[in-house]
Amino acid sequence: MEVLTGWWDDYLWGAVIVAKVFAASLLLMVLFGLIGAAAKLSDNRVAQKIANGYTVIFRGTPEILVILLLYFGSAIVLTAIAQVFDPDIRFVDVPPFWAGTIAIALIVGSYATETFRGAFLGVKPGSIEAARALGMSPLQTFIYIRIPEMWRIALPPFGNHMLSLVKDTALISIIGLNETLFVAKQAITVTGKPFTMYIVVGIIYLGFSSLITLSVMGIEKFGNRTTVGAR
Amino acid sequence: MTDDNSRPLIQMVKVDKFFGSFQALRNIDLEVQKGERIVICGPSGSGKSTLIRCINRLEKHNAGEIIIDGIELTDKVEDIDAVRREVGMVFQNFNLFPHMTIVKNLMIAQQLVRKTSKDESRKLAMRYLERVKIPEQADKYPIQLSGGQQQRVAIARALCMEPEIILFDEPTSALDPEMINEVLDVMVDLAKEGMTMICVTHEMGFARSVADRIIFMDEGEIVEQAEPAAFFDNPKSERTRAFLDQILSH
Repeated sequence: MEVLTGWWDDYLWGAVIVAKVFAASLLLMVLFGLIGAAAKLSDNRVAQKIANGYTVIFRGTPEILVILLLYFGSAIVLTAIAQVFDPDIRFVDVPPFWAGTIAIALIVGSYATETFRGAFLGVKPGSIEAARALGMSPLQTFIYIRIPEMWRIALPPFGNHMLSLVKDTALISIIGLNETLFVAKQAITVTGKPFTMYIVVGIIYLGFSSLITLSVMGIEKFGNRTTVGAR
Repeated sequence: MTDDNSRPLIQMVKVDKFFGSFQALRNIDLEVQKGERIVICGPSGSGKSTLIRCINRLEKHNAGEIIIDGIELTDKVEDIDAVRREVGMVFQNFNLFPHMTIVKNLMIAQQLVRKTSKDESRKLAMRYLERVKIPEQADKYPIQLSGGQQQRVAIARALCMEPEIILFDEPTSALDPEMINEVLDVMVDLAKEGMTMICVTHEMGFARSVADRIIFMDEGEIVEQAEPAAFFDNPKSERTRAFLDQILSH
């Protein structure tokens, strides 16, 4: 245990970064998922094609590759753009935080696209018809009937997406984000104790995932009070 | 409007409806006067449900005219909304909103569509729940109620919008036999109060005692329409006779 002395605060800051990446990528993931689902469910052929391409690419390639390509790819593109304005610029560095956050949000968002699409289709057509027959507008029906019914359907798989997201934050260490795994690698070069240092990372991630699992269970219980729990 | 009393509440003129290449309604002509109680019957797939679903534009007709209380149903959204405010509907599977309590089910459209205040809409909701004799279920969720209770809630929900017309789409077909009467009782009460009703049903006892007119449909056409006595005792069409023999044979 003494070997860990001096590393605790590094791990703590690493955990804070994990939490930050998780929060930011969660918001983006929901956004990408909803846009993807809306595109797939729309009547617009082009939107459908783009959304299909999105899910095929991001579900079909290794996550670590997506992170690397997005990081270096965006750096190349930004550098090229910057050089138009100032030819002296050698290299524009993309912050690993944002490159990594966007990358994992895009990856998990592609899975969420399918989840949200299925959940929207899972809303009973009868509820929607009843709302329309009562004179509610499509927008009112969407807000008051579809959304409240779809999130209950989407929640269990969505819990899995959140777990994927928090675990994927560890991959961002590869592009130099100083989250917990990155801290562990540094600590290992100094102390030469890989097992201990990696175990700490494992415990931190287990803490995060337990928190997520418990919250999802709580929300599920709340959502189901009107159905199974009510009997 | 000068001709308010003579003008039919519902007017369908030469209405056709297709699902792909399948013709669900053929040349439907129908007029319903205010206060009339119509029962529509016929074999399954004969277009009964499609007909009433065209009246509030849950289905879009492909040809002909549908005019509800002077408003012609076209693609104009304002007209569709106006018609839906006048026409209530009760579905075979109740279609209550599962995530809302009973009283919320009755309040939501009042608040959103008629812009009634929360207090007012709750008051009206409770009044109609009392009318269908289940005020004590107000704070429960739909799944906690029996099918018959759910259907009575669905009728109360339609009444809360104070419609001119109520459409019933096989309201008792999804119910256990012991629950059918509690729903029919509510419908009989409504009929006595002078509500204009169009009811797709196989409950021939109800049809005989309540309907002003019975319409028999087959293959998308109105084959025959008559007063109950004439319809049951002296059907003109061969198809009507065959249908009646089938459903009344037990």
